[in-house]
Amino acid sequence: MAIDRQISEKRKRQCSKFVELSKAIIREAFDKFEYEELGITWTGGKDSTLTLWVTRQVCQEKGISLPKAMIIGEGDEFEEIEEFVKKFKKDWDVPLEICRNDDVLKAANYTLSAPVRVKDLDERNRAELKRIGFDGEEFPFEAESQVGNHLMKTVVFNQFLERNNIKGIIQGLRWDEHPARFNDEYFEHKEMAHLVPEHTRIRPILHFTEKDLWDTYAAFNIPYCTLYEQGYRSLGAKTTSLKGSDIPAWEQDLENTEERGGRRQDKEKAMERMRQLGYM
Amino acid sequence: MLSEKRVLISEVLKRAGITTAGFHSNPYLSAYFGWNRGWDVFYDSMEDEVDDKVPYIKAGEINNKVSTWLSSHIGGIAGYNPFFLWVHYMDVHEPYVPERKYIDMVDPSIKLNEEEMFGLFKDVLLKRDVSDRGIVEILKKLYCAHVQEIDDAVRKFFGILEKSNVLKDSLIIITSDHGDEFGEHGGLSHDGKMYSELVNVPLIIYEPSRERGEVCDTLVSTLDIPPTILYLFGLNQVDAFEGCSLLPLEDYPAKGVFGEAVDKHGSKEKGEEKEVHYYLQGDLKIIYLETDDSWELYDLRADPKEINNIIETSSAAEEIKEKVKPRVRRYHG
Repeated sequence: MAIDRQISEKRKRQCSKFVELSKAIIREAFDKFEYEELGITWTGGKDSTLTLWVTRQVCQEKGISLPKAMIIGEGDEFEEIEEFVKKFKKDWDVPLEICRNDDVLKAANYTLSAPVRVKDLDERNRAELKRIGFDGEEFPFEAESQVGNHLMKTVVFNQFLERNNIKGIIQGLRWDEHPARFNDEYFEHKEMAHLVPEHTRIRPILHFTEKDLWDTYAAFNIPYCTLYEQGYRSLGAKTTSLKGSDIPAWEQDLENTEERGGRRQDKEKAMERMRQLGYM
Repeated sequence: MLSEKRVLISEVLKRAGITTAGFHSNPYLSAYFGWNRGWDVFYDSMEDEVDDKVPYIKAGEINNKVSTWLSSHIGGIAGYNPFFLWVHYMDVHEPYVPERKYIDMVDPSIKLNEEEMFGLFKDVLLKRDVSDRGIVEILKKLYCAHVQEIDDAVRKFFGILEKSNVLKDSLIIITSDHGDEFGEHGGLSHDGKMYSELVNVPLIIYEPSRERGEVCDTLVSTLDIPPTILYLFGLNQVDAFEGCSLLPLEDYPAKGVFGEAVDKHGSKEKGEEKEVHYYLQGDLKIIYLETDDSWELYDLRADPKEINNIIETSSAAEEIKEKVKPRVRRYHG
């Protein structure tokens, strides 16, 4: 599926420039790291799919296949994303590893909001809980609560790096997606820390605004998940992502409304801070 | 959530072509609640890690971010665009775990370590336990130590402007959102009460051309600050703002001030949000509590501590109630 929308020649040239800049970052990544040391994160969302598409362009140009990719199975996925990922894994020949925190999933009996008892978890997960200062005896199984986010995403991500000896990981973050990102860099080195392997985060599409991104999708016929057509602008876990509107994402007022307005993770953070400050 | 209908000073200024930058660490004012509207640069710290003892980004770090932004904003050779900078420090806030050197400035005999201070927060402050006057006094001193921290941060903030050579062209307004209670009305912290210890806040205006300070005791409201900012930028007033510009001084109307909040205890008790309102005019202050549909009236001259409720005996009670009623949902429907 591709966006059926006319983009002016001038705008197409601008989008090409954005894509070229991203390709240059990826080429630089290939120069800095061995092919086997590179990895890509994919979620099936618009940012990581654009990143994957651009990386694929560079790989085709070099006559190589895509580096190893990971997708996180957090136990709360949209079927539409799963279908999209399945189709393009095949069409684009993506060497995809589906990464899950099976220990937590099992302890939650694969049921959302079910209580997870800390003593049912393995040593690694218990150490991770300690690392983030969680000292409770149980927590509900949710992908986007603070604890859930850490165990279901951060831990799984770090384990993927460790297992495959990945030194450079390509990610689809953008400066305008969140105010806190305005300082992010194309290459950010992370030192080794407790339970975190040393690695470099590579962010080739930082400069795309949300509007640039959708215009690029239209200009280059890049495929996307149908949920964006239904009005979702930002996709996370199924139960915590909300539609901002019923019109396609690219037809919404991208510049004056919040891209992540429908995501719950930000709420979780605000609530946690308020609790720490003695409110509630 | 911030209502879409609210107009923010940042929005008005940005539309007028002024560069707007906000730096703070208050979750209530975060992007999530909608306070990122109208800013060219907005830092709310919500993506940064904090810990339980100091659950916000400290003033020193906020200053560093301000300094970095300011250098980049005024860095060009062609001069810089006029800017509105909003800096909000969180440090005078529980859990009252100030740094040692500031505690020593207030009372070096307090030898509590961080764990012990945090313990007081959890075991006394969060429980609103005012039974031990000695402990409440210690909490108050820790609060004062935080005030010392902020004095230091404000000093450094002035230094940043001076170093960038913009202090001479800057007008600085210093104010606050609320105080804290230390048993004055039976509680601790700030639970949406409308007494002086919570609602009286400082308002200091620094103007570089003034040679010496002056104290003005006219009753004004923080609602007057946005219109004052518009006046200072030479912009037209907007209807959405309720206050009045403090300048020019001679045009400022003598008026009473309003305040409102959510009554924390009442809301908890009733299981839904309950309003609390106040109105102060001259020496008379009236408070309305939606929780039990009750009124309080105090004569601040005779009773500055707001202990003797004179609502039943004052002849002014009915008239002053009418001032508040239009703002109370129960009465305006």
